[in-house]
Amino acid sequence: MSAPTGGTHPEAKGLYPWLDRRYGITPLIEFLKHKEVPIGSHSMIWYYLGGITLFFFTIQLVSGVLLLAYYQAGESTSYESIRFITTKVPFGWLVRSMHCWSAHLMILSLVTHMLSTMVLKAYRPPRELTWITGFLLFAFALGFGFSGYLLPWNELAFFATAVGTDSMKAVPGIGEWLLQVMRGGTDVSINTLYRFFALHVVVLPLLTVGIVAFHLIFIQRQGMAAPMAHDKPGRGMKFFPDFALRDLLLWLVCLIALASLAVFLPYGPGIPGMEWELGKKANPLAPAYPGIKPEWYFLWVYQLLKEFPAHLFGMEGSQAAIALVSVLFAVWALVPWLDRDARSNRASPAFTDLAMAALVFLAYLTLKAWDIGGGEGPLPDVRAVARACAYWGLVVAAATVVFRFAMGSARFFDFTAAAALQIVLHGFLGVSYLAAGAIAVLLLAVSLGVRMLRSRNAARATVGGAPR
Amino acid sequence: MPPVGEKINRRSLLDVLLAIGVVGWLASVLFPVLRYLKPLGVQTQNGPIKLKGEELSKLEKDHSVIVRAGAARIVVFEDSTQQLRALSAKCTHEGCTVQYVPGESVIWCACHNGRFDLDGRVLAGPPPRTLEKYSCTRESDGSVVVQLGRGPEAA
Amino acid sequence: MIALCAVLLLAAPADESKYPAPLKEFLAAKNKDGSPVLGDADRKALAALPDHTRDLLGAAAESVILGSAAHLKILLSLDLPPAALELVAQDNCILCHSDPGNQKGKTLFATDPPARKSNPLLNLKEFVSDVHFRRGLSCSGCHGGKPSDEMMTKDVYARWPKEDVRHSDRSWIPGFCANCHADSNFMRGFNPTLPTDQLAKYQTSQHGILLLQEKDSRAAQCVSCHGVHGIRNSRSRLSSVHVQRIPDTCGACHSDAKRMEGFRLADGTPLPTNQVAQYKESVHGKALLVKGDLGAPTCTGCHRSHAAMPPDCHSQYAKDNQQCAATAVSFRNALDTLVAGRAEITAPLERLAERGLDVEPLSRTASDLDEALVQTRSKVHTFDLSSFQAAAQPGNDAIAKGRELIAEERREARFRTRGLLAAIGFMSLIAAGIALKLREIGKRRIT
Repeated sequence: MSAPTGGTHPEAKGLYPWLDRRYGITPLIEFLKHKEVPIGSHSMIWYYLGGITLFFFTIQLVSGVLLLAYYQAGESTSYESIRFITTKVPFGWLVRSMHCWSAHLMILSLVTHMLSTMVLKAYRPPRELTWITGFLLFAFALGFGFSGYLLPWNELAFFATAVGTDSMKAVPGIGEWLLQVMRGGTDVSINTLYRFFALHVVVLPLLTVGIVAFHLIFIQRQGMAAPMAHDKPGRGMKFFPDFALRDLLLWLVCLIALASLAVFLPYGPGIPGMEWELGKKANPLAPAYPGIKPEWYFLWVYQLLKEFPAHLFGMEGSQAAIALVSVLFAVWALVPWLDRDARSNRASPAFTDLAMAALVFLAYLTLKAWDIGGGEGPLPDVRAVARACAYWGLVVAAATVVFRFAMGSARFFDFTAAAALQIVLHGFLGVSYLAAGAIAVLLLAVSLGVRMLRSRNAARATVGGAPR
Repeated sequence: MPPVGEKINRRSLLDVLLAIGVVGWLASVLFPVLRYLKPLGVQTQNGPIKLKGEELSKLEKDHSVIVRAGAARIVVFEDSTQQLRALSAKCTHEGCTVQYVPGESVIWCACHNGRFDLDGRVLAGPPPRTLEKYSCTRESDGSVVVQLGRGPEAA
Repeated sequence: MIALCAVLLLAAPADESKYPAPLKEFLAAKNKDGSPVLGDADRKALAALPDHTRDLLGAAAESVILGSAAHLKILLSLDLPPAALELVAQDNCILCHSDPGNQKGKTLFATDPPARKSNPLLNLKEFVSDVHFRRGLSCSGCHGGKPSDEMMTKDVYARWPKEDVRHSDRSWIPGFCANCHADSNFMRGFNPTLPTDQLAKYQTSQHGILLLQEKDSRAAQCVSCHGVHGIRNSRSRLSSVHVQRIPDTCGACHSDAKRMEGFRLADGTPLPTNQVAQYKESVHGKALLVKGDLGAPTCTGCHRSHAAMPPDCHSQYAKDNQQCAATAVSFRNALDTLVAGRAEITAPLERLAERGLDVEPLSRTASDLDEALVQTRSKVHTFDLSSFQAAAQPGNDAIAKGRELIAEERREARFRTRGLLAAIGFMSLIAAGIALKLREIGKRRIT
């Protein structure tokens, strides 16, 4: 057993030598001094998104602990204590609105971080586990959002949680059991809140901090992903102080934005799924009312559940929808292994296209969930909504195409085209959402098959013919 | 190239600006946080308090009872001459709750063996000050009333 | 089953051959252009009548009092139930006076007097819907004579003052109506709930005093308000004394400046004629006439009907009109202040709530104010300034408190904005410092 020794003289005096002799700090400092961040031909902004997400997560930890100083989980205290915090406690309104705003901004930066990783192929070997841990953190963030939503015990949260947990029963086999475990009973009650509370303030934070540690260790051990070989590797930027100071600068900008939003829009921007006015206390006996929607990052699942008919291929509609969502998540998680081109360090525009198509697909569902263009009535005109959202969905698709031209990654459009085709078929031609999706997927499969055959033939030709 | 002195001046000016910024920012973060954490003032009760039914029966049974008055605790007891007395129940040493020991006619704190006489004066043990005394009377209808604020005989 | 029978009966072709002979003649009568006088609708109506009613009509026609097919057509067009038609068929007064071939415009009861340029009081349709006629009291009940008389006799008008007097001096009318209406035993046979003290009340009214004591026939009496032929129950919307028609009925005289000339108020000022116009603009008038709230007060609510007099507040609470008006104005102002204060307090509520401020005390104050407003409004009709002011006081307090709360909330909002600006200032300072440092580092790297 040899104690770590730093580079300082054994007799040197002072705190640093003292610490260094015991913990060997000098190599760490040396590491930081030489750590570099690669500079690619693309914009550097993508490298800061992880840090920004971490910053918002830190805000969540601090404001969350502050909220715990007054929050009391309980049938007759949850709602009342939140009300007390926002109305009576000095700056309580600020703590709560910072917590809420920061939650949404964290999800936003996390999703952007993930998309940028996808587009830059930073998941390629040897960074598969960084991607997997990132994916887990994304799942935890969704869990945070879902469990935190119920804690004020207000009407909106109550119904949204009832609907949200209900979809759990679609899990084959253990659905009913899972539902009861989640709810702490057959229905959403204060027992559900206790469970969600434990999840939100103990389980998820512990897991998240642990996984974040792994995520960061992986990054420190491997360095940030350099741009792809074909992407002209540039110079490096010193991590310390150049990159760290820039990180700090961006965090300050984020904090200014967060504080301004929290002060001027303490209850959120008022977009359905992104507002947190306390409203009425939850009453399990009160009838549900229109406009109950989950938070914006769950809206696409909510809409997908609505698009599925009661029964499909012998499954219940919601089962089919959950199955589809699970498949999508699984594909997303396994991307580092699926993307063979990136694995062998070749350009893989197909997966850039897949990410963009996912964005278009999610955007269309989210827009539909907002009933954009559905008129003011309580029952929006479904056809009009599909049409109005289709315009905006195509605008998003066009924006991704422009973005890819700007990124110089404009070679593969099959996935985006399929997503756009579904939007056109459903929104403008009135084909049902699922049928439109099936047609789009079928055409996509044909085009992918043709591509595969062609590339195989080309490969054979290359092998057979004289190498150039 | 600027002279060295000027460069140092510019750098130190920058450092001063940064320091002002950091200190001000810390203040703007800490002020709300500390205000948020400081508990809201507990309403101090000043009027007389009347013992509730179960407190009365406990007083009857055990010759003493500890009652709440806002955030404070008060021990109400009946001495061997059947006279009602009331003292602060918060030991002046470490703030434990004291109790009346009828057999020995003392107020005793079990935490560190502090002993007070029935007027609250320290008899033995570590407590540094006397217990605050309140006037306590039995009304004609049998109810017991403790006057908060300093009782006249404690002055 | 009954419906089926009715359909069968109606559907069964009426056997016109069994009609009394005069009726058959009428059916055969033709207009100048050759079309039958009695059209299909009339034939159907005739066919639907019981044989007995048709027989009575036939008898009337036999005696030529039911003079022509056109006359029969008029009677059928009234769409009367058989019993009422039988009454008509046996009442020579009506028969004779409704026959256009027999009477001139001045004495003809027409279904549409204006079209025939006849006496507007002699409206046949109105007459047959008159509450008296519907209970069997026909012409002779008031005018005298007998329905069976074939010619006018001396008995007609025998009960009334002579013609030269009865039009210029109307003081006989109340007593005449009271012959029946003050007789509780008699009236009970028709409508047990109808009061019989109208004349007694009328005698105490300003109208009654003017007419009966001062013999001023400009004063309103029974028929001025109730009408003559065509009196209806006041519950009927067509009645001139239906609660919603009372303002116009009173206004018929009281809004007529010429008619009110010479009348003065107790203080000697001329009687105004703008009451109805003002009433229609008032909260009461709007409630009654626009919103259709039949419980809202109309003229008679304060002035009373048969015992019409200036309202009580004048005699009880105020020496004169000026004092009454001054009180009313102070009530009005106090209420306006409360209403304006409510608007002032509630206007910024939403914006303050959006800013995340605690608006609960403010909305509680607003509901205190609402409560005070209700209480205050209910005190208006006590005509008692002190109890009114006592009720208004909590409202004024609430307004003051609301203003204070709003000022406080605005201070808080300003404090938040300023605090944010200060924090942003410090953060910008740090950010600028970092940016400068980065530039410096960059420069150092290059050099």
